[in-house]
Amino acid sequence: MKKLLNSLLSLGVVASAALAANPAITAVKVSDNLDTIKADSALWSKAKFETVILYPQTSIEFNDKKANALVANSKGKKAQVAALHDGKNIAVMVKWADKTKDVEQCMTSDVYTDGFAVQFAGATAKPQPLPYIGMGSAGRPVVVHLQKATAKVYEPNGNKDVSTQINRQQTGVFGKELADFDAKVASLAKTDYEKVFVAEGFRSTTEIKDNSVKSNGAMVHGPAGWSGTLSRPLKDEYVNLKGTVPVAIAVWDGSSMGRNGLKNLSSWVAINLEGQTANAAMVAELTTDTKGDAAKGKEAAATNGCTGCHQMSAADAQSLLGPSLKNVGGYATAAYLRESILKPSAVVVPGYNRNAHANTPWYNIEKGKRISTMTDFSFLDKATVDDIVAYLKTLKSEVE
Amino acid sequence: MSKRQLAMVMDLNKCIGCQTCTVACKTQWTNRNGREYMYWNNVETYPGTGYPKNWMELGGGFDAAGDLQPGVIPNLEADYGVPWDYNYESIMTESADHSTFKPHVSPTWGPNWDEDQGAGAFPQDNYFFYLPRICNHCTNPGCLSACPRDAIFKREQDGVVLVDLDRCQGYRYCIAGCPYKKIYFNPKISKSEKCILCFPRIEQGLPPACAQQCVGRIRFVGFLDDEESQVYKLVHQYKVAIGLRPDYGTQPNVYYVPPTESPAKFDAEGKIIEGSTRLPIEELEKLFGPEVHHAIKTLKAEMKKRKETGVSELMDILIAYQHADMFRLDNNYYQEVAKEQKRTPLAPVDTRYLAGKFTKAGGHH
Repeated sequence: MKKLLNSLLSLGVVASAALAANPAITAVKVSDNLDTIKADSALWSKAKFETVILYPQTSIEFNDKKANALVANSKGKKAQVAALHDGKNIAVMVKWADKTKDVEQCMTSDVYTDGFAVQFAGATAKPQPLPYIGMGSAGRPVVVHLQKATAKVYEPNGNKDVSTQINRQQTGVFGKELADFDAKVASLAKTDYEKVFVAEGFRSTTEIKDNSVKSNGAMVHGPAGWSGTLSRPLKDEYVNLKGTVPVAIAVWDGSSMGRNGLKNLSSWVAINLEGQTANAAMVAELTTDTKGDAAKGKEAAATNGCTGCHQMSAADAQSLLGPSLKNVGGYATAAYLRESILKPSAVVVPGYNRNAHANTPWYNIEKGKRISTMTDFSFLDKATVDDIVAYLKTLKSEVE
Repeated sequence: MSKRQLAMVMDLNKCIGCQTCTVACKTQWTNRNGREYMYWNNVETYPGTGYPKNWMELGGGFDAAGDLQPGVIPNLEADYGVPWDYNYESIMTESADHSTFKPHVSPTWGPNWDEDQGAGAFPQDNYFFYLPRICNHCTNPGCLSACPRDAIFKREQDGVVLVDLDRCQGYRYCIAGCPYKKIYFNPKISKSEKCILCFPRIEQGLPPACAQQCVGRIRFVGFLDDEESQVYKLVHQYKVAIGLRPDYGTQPNVYYVPPTESPAKFDAEGKIIEGSTRLPIEELEKLFGPEVHHAIKTLKAEMKKRKETGVSELMDILIAYQHADMFRLDNNYYQEVAKEQKRTPLAPVDTRYLAGKFTKAGGHH
């Protein structure tokens, strides 16, 4: 694939099949209320599934030796995504292949769980700039609905259930009383690991715990893999979804120790709400291939020193300064790439703890703002920027 | 770096491996609610596998360039050990045929599995010593640096490193990042937890449970900027207390007085080899870095001085006559911090350890 890509690039041809942007999805209008819809609902037979490619997140490398080895050769995953809406709620179904069903039993220290998430943009008025794909960015919040396949999680601290925190052997009771104690403890467990977060950049993610967001998520595993469903209101205090709804999908694979950034994610995908006026500019932005000459862009990226701080392919060393771009074409929009070239400080996520690599700071804080250490490339002419963006859009792994 | 740093010194010459600290900590914090397998305080035999198994080989910490190193998250069964329990209930209630005392899982590993084994050949040159370990409340914590969620913080007032359980999402990069493997995953609540240096006790004038219960009185607690504190004297004045594995680059704030005393070796006939010592200095250098030579020199010199003249402040400190001298918890300071943070200052429950840099009143002895 890589060889093929290179030869295509050398011809200056953009391979449309391999590099095509994700298609827009139509959220079919239904009359039934979707606020409690499950994966087995007959309503899904009306839905129109589209293929969305989820690429491995490789912008930064985490410090888990075993996990890094497991994800070293991760490929893009195909997901089938469909949506429904009832005028008040939107429901999204994501189907993806996963041979192993990893459900965390909450018994051990180094086991991870399968899961999926749907990210919504906090402000959807303009297609440019959408929030940064990785948990949004300053002033451009996102709301993320997370569903994990977890057997039972106890959070007794939140409920002040102190008396049930003791070990069963220390209760001082036996027989029926002990069985009652066990039952009480079991009843305090949450069997549905479903959370909603608001974020303005990776690491700022904060769980919404005041029930101000309705979330109806579920995961079902079958022979083909997982089906994840989520429904939420089209409008609440965090989002106002109408016309064209940009969403991003992420899935985690427990068997390769996936969690947090160790995941596969899509770029922003446009979902058009049937019966409403689509946002043509946003749909065009998210479904059209980038104009520009990727081969010229590759040269321009080299001559302008991009490769000094950014890893472009697995063959290059991972830099501590700039995020790796080896899958950036899979999950970043062209608008984001363009903005990052012209205004590097427009989006600087708090990201990985800077203290982890104190001598290679990728931003400095000036007057309370994160200022990127990347050079401002606004001096480049428009054609060159287009070429570089077209080149960056080709940077992504093979698809499984 | 925090405004002030609370620190602990442990005198390894005096640790007898009785595990009273371990039990004090366990009953105070970790015998419930998913923490059963955790030992925020443990005492391991050195040389040995330690707890969790081979923790020194599991990565984390920083290299010389200051970059966080990748690490490995230990497995509960293989590396920590399942906290097995016995069939207390059935043995009392079931018929005699079934009344065998047995563990609920077959134990294959646990803390202190290799207790007192040590190294060397018995009886010629075998040796070991005990290494009690808690979280080092590092100045540059590997766990904090590894967290991609800002869920770990170092308290400004005393440098205690804590997990914000509200932010923690159980990713466990902190465990990979801590070179001491002193932060643990609580599978029941799916969040990371660790030694909290008993801050709720400290704020009320009580030393950490491990330190107060220590029968050998090996643990000193105080602020590093409090020149009256014995912690200051041992770490900064006499420089006989050194952080564990300073090469990990996290700047630990638990300091150890290295073991200086070990018996002489025997020759093939079982006779004492005069002037020999069983404890290889290389091992101590591995644990405490090159500073250990100076520390041992000072300790030996002060021991000699004490023998000859009967006077040595350092030896008096290490004898640890009074808990009230060993623990200086600076209660006025905590009261002021509470007021600044608009919290209600808590009344001290013990008046013996209140003194400190900002607290003149010492307690009675």
